[in-house]
Amino acid sequence: MDELYLDNIDEFVNDHDKIVTYKWLSLTLGVHVNTAKQMLYHYLDHKRKESSDPLHATYLVSGKFVDNGQTSHKVSVVKEDQLEDVKSKMSLIVSVHVYSVQKALLKDSGPLYGVDYDAVKDNLKNCSRYSAIRCASAVPRSSVELQQARHTQPAPAPEPEHKKSTTNGDATPASKPSTKPQKSIMGMFANKSALKNQDSGKEVKSEQKEDAPVVDEPKSKPAAKANPMMNFFGTQAAKKTVKQEEAAPSSSSSSAEQRRPSSQPEETHAAAAAAAAAAVEPPKNSKKDSRSKTKRMEDSDSEEEKMDKKKRRRIKKPEPDSSDEDVIPDSPQQMETREASPSPKEEVEPVSQSHQGNCEMKTRKRRRVLKSRTFVDDEGCIVTEKGYESESYSEAEDDVPKDPIPAKRPASSKPDEKKSQKKASANSNKGTKQASIMGFFQKK
Amino acid sequence: MTTLTRQDLNFGQVVADILCEFLEVAIHLILYVREVYPSGIFQKRKKYNVPVQMSCHPELNQYIQDTLHCVKPLIEKNDAEKVVVVIMDKEHHPVERFVFEMSQPPLLSISSDTLLSHVEQLLRAFILKISVCDAVLNNNPPGCSFTVLVHTRDAATRNMEKVQVIKDFPWIVADEQEVHMQEPRLIPLKTMTSDIVKMQLYVEERAQKT
Repeated sequence: MDELYLDNIDEFVNDHDKIVTYKWLSLTLGVHVNTAKQMLYHYLDHKRKESSDPLHATYLVSGKFVDNGQTSHKVSVVKEDQLEDVKSKMSLIVSVHVYSVQKALLKDSGPLYGVDYDAVKDNLKNCSRYSAIRCASAVPRSSVELQQARHTQPAPAPEPEHKKSTTNGDATPASKPSTKPQKSIMGMFANKSALKNQDSGKEVKSEQKEDAPVVDEPKSKPAAKANPMMNFFGTQAAKKTVKQEEAAPSSSSSSAEQRRPSSQPEETHAAAAAAAAAAVEPPKNSKKDSRSKTKRMEDSDSEEEKMDKKKRRRIKKPEPDSSDEDVIPDSPQQMETREASPSPKEEVEPVSQSHQGNCEMKTRKRRRVLKSRTFVDDEGCIVTEKGYESESYSEAEDDVPKDPIPAKRPASSKPDEKKSQKKASANSNKGTKQASIMGFFQKK
Repeated sequence: MTTLTRQDLNFGQVVADILCEFLEVAIHLILYVREVYPSGIFQKRKKYNVPVQMSCHPELNQYIQDTLHCVKPLIEKNDAEKVVVVIMDKEHHPVERFVFEMSQPPLLSISSDTLLSHVEQLLRAFILKISVCDAVLNNNPPGCSFTVLVHTRDAATRNMEKVQVIKDFPWIVADEQEVHMQEPRLIPLKTMTSDIVKMQLYVEERAQKT
């Protein structure tokens, strides 16, 4: 390859202040992703030798990782300063390559997703043109098959919570109108998105990349998921999943940005735990847009909360291939604490959601609803926490107080102790505002 | 194809809504990226299909929302020329000013189905740009605070003083000290042009921050 690409990348990074990810570069220059990775590597090398301009890079590390005796395949996007650290923690390193190059030191992984979003959106039909993941039998479904898939999806919904996978499909009415257009394109990503949604659901508002792996957590019934997962594996979606997964662990392993991990054990545990925690999210909407990696549906139901926690913990994520993320941690404890932190975040109008859930679930099980409790903790601070409470409010036995961020807050140097979890109003404001504006234009 | 003019269906309100939502997200993101508040109070949320950092602190959120609630009527009437987020050091001297200049075309009319997604894309680019702006800015000294200033056209503020949009949330004319900065350095960040609004974001930075 000629040397022009060095100038191109230089222009992007220095003149335009862009974040250059390998995927964006491959789509922009029209080259295979592996070529793009090499280009970035050479550029980084070249620049570092010749000038002292600060350039920051993030890397993607994937390999086998042993956690408490459990081996899993972990894919992470890490900052440069954590690279060696993460590499040393892995038992076997399968691949390491440059993920992105930018001038600014990124504080969190959010912009990495934003960079690729538009590029992929523009090339939606052939975004895997330059991809290295191939499966001969993965072809887009014909519209007939899509229709069939959609019809069979709502059917299992009335089943008891066991078959959680498609229940989210019924929850679609609660979802924003934006999901509707997604259906057509995303029909084939349906189940995939369920997994993703789980993930996204987990972090309420935070559509984290890190959620991605979490989503894969067996929040939903793995059995039901296994098949769709298989279908998706070879498709473009798989590429996204991989990316999501990599994003997910990477976010957990990347340093500052999550508040959650502040109290959590080290990154490795956090990654595993996060996966478990993320699993809490119900398989959000199979119809939801799986394209957004860190897709976090605002109106994630509290249905998943209604699910039996124990059951969720045991559900093993379907691992169609080694490229998926972490296995659910065994210890329920970790799950618990993990759940606490993501679930408080996952706010989204629990009450209204529970109503929705009620209509759909016709079982007599007691539902767990995420409610806010305001109390004075032992430090004399007023803390608002979200906890699971039984919907009927008959007993408080099920109220599992979570010790999310507020508890961790005192540890940090934050001056203001008064913290409340994400406010429903802010979220709902956003949610309703979005809906209203969209609805406004669609009226015409 | 729909064609809306400014008079129809409170079109000005719709545009103001979009812009205020965007400004809210942008202000939170600026506070996060410039480390005005500890990053612990922020959590990831989603806007325009990308992750953004928003604060969880109720008073901060309320303050920002009230501020924008008062600004909204000005935007509706296209009276707001600039919305400025000023970051000040301990002595209340500005160190950085993020200026959002906006203007709406007088004959607003949209006739495109993809307008909303186009605007979303442009706003997404703004968000991305704010996220990486610390490549071009120097670090701020510790202990900064922020404030929001609005520059209006003509004398629109006279109305604001007469009618308190939100009770106990008065707007006052800004001090010279807050408005003017010594030795500013101008760094343009992003410009967007669309059918409904033209917006420009640039940063004025004080040459010596500490």
